Amino acid sequence: MLPVVAVAFISQQAAFLAGREGEAMRTVDQVQIGAWLLLSVALVLALATGGFWFRSAKVRALMEDEVTRANRAEAFRIGFLATMAGAIAVYVLTLLEPVTGREAVHLLMSIGIAAALLRFGVLERRALKE
Amino acid sequence: MSERLDNRLLAARTQRGLTQAALAELVGVSRKTINTVENGVFVPSTILALKLARALGEPVEALFSLPSED
Repeated sequence: MLPVVAVAFISQQAAFLAGREGEAMRTVDQVQIGAWLLLSVALVLALATGGFWFRSAKVRALMEDEVTRANRAEAFRIGFLATMAGAIAVYVLTLLEPVTGREAVHLLMSIGIAAALLRFGVLERRALKE
Repeated sequence: MSERLDNRLLAARTQRGLTQAALAELVGVSRKTINTVENGVFVPSTILALKLARALGEPVEALFSLPSED
């Protein structure tokens, strides 16, 4: 499930990356950015807590066992490293062309969340493989 | 330090006629955890190793061992 969400999340960024330079921000753009922010927060919370917020405590404890916690820790590690690599890339990019604070935050959050989601999804799939 | 841990969890489980799901329920973890421990993908904590040993009625050192150094 999470790799699918990761792909959807990344594809959502295509519109942002193909932004119209110099044009005034339209209402639809603001809605899109708001949706991205909400989705980002939801994904970070799901990654941090394991999700299953509307299930019983017993189910949550079962879903949050040792392997899941280890996979999540590894996913956060990869997400952090990807964010640092992204930050370096954005820093280099600013030497070539101006990057606004909002664009930089958007890029770094997207890179970090997508990398962590993909890694977590791959590890969970591997764990379920017989 | 070696990060590998040999185990004979699969043999001990099947010897008792338990499925992964049944053992998981006995220990209170998900089937995924049993699967990853059996396959050597995941090294369990001391607590989980002891729980598995208790559920299978074997000493923990009979289930888990360090790989030989040669």
